[in-house]
Amino acid sequence: MKGDISLSCRGLERYLGQEEERVHALRGVSLNVEAGSLHAVVGPSGCGKSTLLYILGLLDEPDGGSVQIGSTQISHLSDEDLARRRNELIGFIFQFHFLMEDFTAHENVMIPMRRLGKLSEEEMADRAADLLNAVALGNKLRRQSRHLSGGEQQRVAIARALANDPQVILADEPTGNLDTDNSQRAFELLANIVREKERALLLVTHNRFIADACDWVHEMKDGLIVASHPHGQRISVS
Amino acid sequence: MTAPFYIALRFATHRRRALLLSLVGVVFGVGIFICTQAQTQGFMQFFINSTIGSNGALTVRSRFQPRYQGMVVSAKTPAGIAQRRTYFEGITNVGEIMRVSRQFSNVIACSPVLRGSISVRAGFEGTTAEIFGIDPISHLRATDLANQIVDGRFEDFRNNTSSLIVGYRLADLLQVGIGDSIQLLSPGGEYSRFTVAAISRSGVAAIDQSRIYAHARVAQRLLKKPYQASMIIYKLRDPDRAPILATQFENLFQHSAQSWQDREEGNLQIFATLRISAAITVSLIILLAGFGIFNVLTMSVLSKIREIAILRSMGYRRVDISAIFLWQGALIAAVGSIFGCILGALLTLAISKMPIHIRGLLYANHFLVVWDWRHYFWATLLAIISVFIASYVPAKRAAELAPVDTLRGSSL
Repeated sequence: MKGDISLSCRGLERYLGQEEERVHALRGVSLNVEAGSLHAVVGPSGCGKSTLLYILGLLDEPDGGSVQIGSTQISHLSDEDLARRRNELIGFIFQFHFLMEDFTAHENVMIPMRRLGKLSEEEMADRAADLLNAVALGNKLRRQSRHLSGGEQQRVAIARALANDPQVILADEPTGNLDTDNSQRAFELLANIVREKERALLLVTHNRFIADACDWVHEMKDGLIVASHPHGQRISVS
Repeated sequence: MTAPFYIALRFATHRRRALLLSLVGVVFGVGIFICTQAQTQGFMQFFINSTIGSNGALTVRSRFQPRYQGMVVSAKTPAGIAQRRTYFEGITNVGEIMRVSRQFSNVIACSPVLRGSISVRAGFEGTTAEIFGIDPISHLRATDLANQIVDGRFEDFRNNTSSLIVGYRLADLLQVGIGDSIQLLSPGGEYSRFTVAAISRSGVAAIDQSRIYAHARVAQRLLKKPYQASMIIYKLRDPDRAPILATQFENLFQHSAQSWQDREEGNLQIFATLRISAAITVSLIILLAGFGIFNVLTMSVLSKIREIAILRSMGYRRVDISAIFLWQGALIAAVGSIFGCILGALLTLAISKMPIHIRGLLYANHFLVVWDWRHYFWATLLAIISVFIASYVPAKRAAELAPVDTLRGSSL
């Protein structure tokens, strides 16, 4: 264990679809993610990785079980409270980066800060510039995100996920849309930030090398974590 | 600047062409609404000013007495009140009624008038006219007659009891001008000769084609009436309150009293119908603009599903997502209303300069308009309501989108 537990879940259950098409997507998943550690979730498509991520990211509600972020138990909260906690405690990174196309890199990073509303316009601009400098995009602040390369866009997404200095970073195949070089670079960047700032990272990946580089690898199958391995132990990634 | 407003600004400027089309709809809707209301009310206001200026805001006429009521109560009829009265032609105690009525704060001035029909002849032309026997001084205070003189001088009439003021259409009919002679035929069959001292134009055809002003005593002699006045006309500070004052005067003086609203009810209904008709027609433009905005915002929601999901994942609440699209509507309404009001003012100004030859119900040489802030207020309010309704459904739909469905659909 590297530090205090930043994110944990106990006995998560989730059903997707309705009636005859109903699928038991999560069958009692439990997990602990400590501050300053990197956790990878691996498994075949449809095994419930993304469903787990969305529940941990407070975007979806479980049918059973509980989620805890830091010392806060998250259950039966209103949409407003869930949104506030997402904004303050969680940073999301998606496979397709999901940037606002018409916004510049700088503006994209400022979006979560605007919702938080704790910084002035100038402070937000400075912080966004610092974050983009940290991901080596200091020279492309004013460039519209659609005019950036795939690797650059993913780095903007990483900077945006860190905008409100979240306790937990959740990444859904953050390198799935990048070539090998860019994948490696994006992951290293993320790993450095997580370790330096003592944040918790949980990422879903199909990339074996990235999973191997994490502190913990959780194998999922049919809605269950069937195995959890610490760094260095051999795993099989489908 | 709030986060939803900032994002709304950015989203709105992204779809410039669609935004411009929505904006044009609102601008034209608001502009044309203002312009049509200014015109229709312009003509109506001109008519009201003219009729009040000539016939007063309120008239007190014949004395009445309540009729004897039998023991058996008859069925109520619309004319029930009139049936229970007996009228006596002319006004008794003119001086006393005028003295008392001047005590009312709403009364500016009043003037006794002896009114009757008389035959007129000038050269080979003859017709029937309505003679107004007036006291020049008090009539000038109670009406706009001085401003209605288009030829000759009021002073010439005032200083010469054998002179007349003739309505301009009647003068045209009789083919007389200033200084010409006119013969008036009394009920006894005697002709009296008068000089045309002035020609008046009220702007209302019904008045201008029949009215002759004479001195009160001359009119009394010509009409062979035993009383000095058949009516008293009033100039009021607040003509809109004339109906209330009419009721008070009836109760107080036991003389029938009629407000200008009752007197001109038929014509006012025509104008009101025209205004409503124009307002409905133009409101349709604003409603169509609303449909346009509905389409634009619905398309915007559909094209921004991914952005909505990502905003939700970053902690934006449902209410923030709604606000983004409502702000877009509000921006269209605000900018559209501002430019619409400017367009409305410019159109109103341009139309007021437009020459037109009206010689029917009214007399006018150009379009008549009224500059009234309420037209701008109502047009803006209509645009805001229309745009809000048009924005509400797409905004609600955007807020209800489940981000997980979008994210899952994109990432798996």
